Amino acid sequence: MAKRLMKGNEAIGEAAIAAGAPNYFAYPITPQSEVAEYLCWRLPEVDGVFVQAESEVAVGNMLFGASASGKRVFTTSSSPGISLMQETISYMAGAHLPVVFVNIMRGGPGLGGILPAQSDYFQATKGGGHGDYRIIVLAPSSVQEAVDMMLWAFDLAEKYLTPVMLIGDGMIGQMMESVEFPDKYREENNPDEIEWALTGAKGRKARICKSLFLNPEQLEENSFLLAEKYKKIKKAERRCELYNVKDDNKIIITSYGTMARICQTAIDELEGEGVSVGLFRPITLFPYPEEELYAEGSKKNIKCVLSVEMSTGQMVEDVERIMKGKKKIDFFGRTGGVVPSPDEVKDKVRKILRIKK
Amino acid sequence: MEKTLTGYRYPDTSKKIIIIIGGFGSGKTEVSVNLAKYFTTTDKTPITLVDLDLVNPYFRSREVLEEMEALGVHVVCPTGGKFYADLPILLPQIKGLVESHEGLLILDVGGDSQGAKALGSISSFFVDDSYEMVAVLNSRRPQTSDVSGCLATMQRIELTAKLKFTGLVSNSHMIEETDLDVILEGYELSQAVSAESGLPLFFISGKHTVFEHMKQEFDCPVLPMTRSMLKPWERKEKSD
Repeated sequence: MAKRLMKGNEAIGEAAIAAGAPNYFAYPITPQSEVAEYLCWRLPEVDGVFVQAESEVAVGNMLFGASASGKRVFTTSSSPGISLMQETISYMAGAHLPVVFVNIMRGGPGLGGILPAQSDYFQATKGGGHGDYRIIVLAPSSVQEAVDMMLWAFDLAEKYLTPVMLIGDGMIGQMMESVEFPDKYREENNPDEIEWALTGAKGRKARICKSLFLNPEQLEENSFLLAEKYKKIKKAERRCELYNVKDDNKIIITSYGTMARICQTAIDELEGEGVSVGLFRPITLFPYPEEELYAEGSKKNIKCVLSVEMSTGQMVEDVERIMKGKKKIDFFGRTGGVVPSPDEVKDKVRKILRIKK
Repeated sequence: MEKTLTGYRYPDTSKKIIIIIGGFGSGKTEVSVNLAKYFTTTDKTPITLVDLDLVNPYFRSREVLEEMEALGVHVVCPTGGKFYADLPILLPQIKGLVESHEGLLILDVGGDSQGAKALGSISSFFVDDSYEMVAVLNSRRPQTSDVSGCLATMQRIELTAKLKFTGLVSNSHMIEETDLDVILEGYELSQAVSAESGLPLFFISGKHTVFEHMKQEFDCPVLPMTRSMLKPWERKEKSD
């Protein structure tokens, strides 16, 4: 298929269709409303279903019901909307149900603003809802990566029977880039072939999808089952990308999403000035590529690990935890919709290395 | 652009209002900005650029405000806190500008039929034959990749804007990945849309670096463009 020019939000919608998930429940919110706008005209072409719910809470309940009946489902929203969906995320994690959430992050807290931010890192990776659960969190840095990740997200959700969340700052949803889709789109799954799906118990034993266990031993058993699952995910699904990582690096920058691309520009220009900086870009935020970061960050030549984020400092807490005091950790961030510029990143690097311009 | 591109006819118009409309990704804002820039080099008349892009919260012509003002182009767009709002703000002075203005008025109308609603609300102020209303077409966008898609999109816009198109702009592009093939593919599509609709191809536009190496001749004027709206990691000097 020829490359097309698409807005991230549209591409995410098309990717869900390519993944065999033409079942979409959503409530509009800037900066991701184009997903719904795109799917409004696109889903009827593929016999898909888009239900605009009365609220994000309702979206969550629809996802739970549709997923429990064996359908491949997803939703998209932005920060305040995702907050409203936390109850469902917790319920679906507890009930071992597959689902894909997309959070095109805007500035917060509260209603915040509509410009790009990365201040939902804690919410996504530490569990915004209640209970002993985690979700898989993926962070694309380009429109093409968002498309590829959507396909992967459904695979992961079904492999581990868990909610998966793709988080992108507002830029991921709003920017246009050229993008390619697979030639062959996946078929929708057949609920009758899924061993746990609620398809009507006629002629077979009844099944149940729930997160309520009044017997403490049973609830504990379910929680340990989840913990086992997360252990497997941590072992098998860590992903990261290295850029300009080499022996004369003085600093390793950790950054994800489009923020990492801004850091790349800064790194390229610093390299031209004789200042060598490497980039560690986590692609999965849960599971965090911990061993990989420790291996790169603790090398002899590294003086400092610098976390650059569109927040007041969230991922940096994981970086500190992972580096176990081995190296100096520093942070640079802008937030509220203000996007750090390559020049600001360069200035921060110079300041750490005490280099005058 | 004048130095290297002497062989082309450039866009020209006797009309005092040019309305530029396209869906997102058509490149209507880059076309509006580059057209305004081009007219500053050829025309002594004052130029006013109006941002009527009411639905796109991110990349809009407001972003190039400073650059335009420096060139002497008067830019009309929401200011202060409203600059960042994705609210349908139709500035009261726009009606007045349509009724009476000095020089050339370029309206950048955004976002498919939704953005055209804003235009529809002031459509009665436009006098027949006093304006050009052009559809910006990009063959690499899902809804305008073939003739029927283009015609359907244009029809939707006309119904909402309550004004009729008078011409087309072929602006096929893939942002920084735009090459000769993309531009020629768009030219071909626009010619087919022109034949089907009876609307003239007002001009063809695209990356100036591609036009510089192009040997093809076009039956219409050409507007070579430099990109004004960059992503936060892009540098102006590398964006061509």
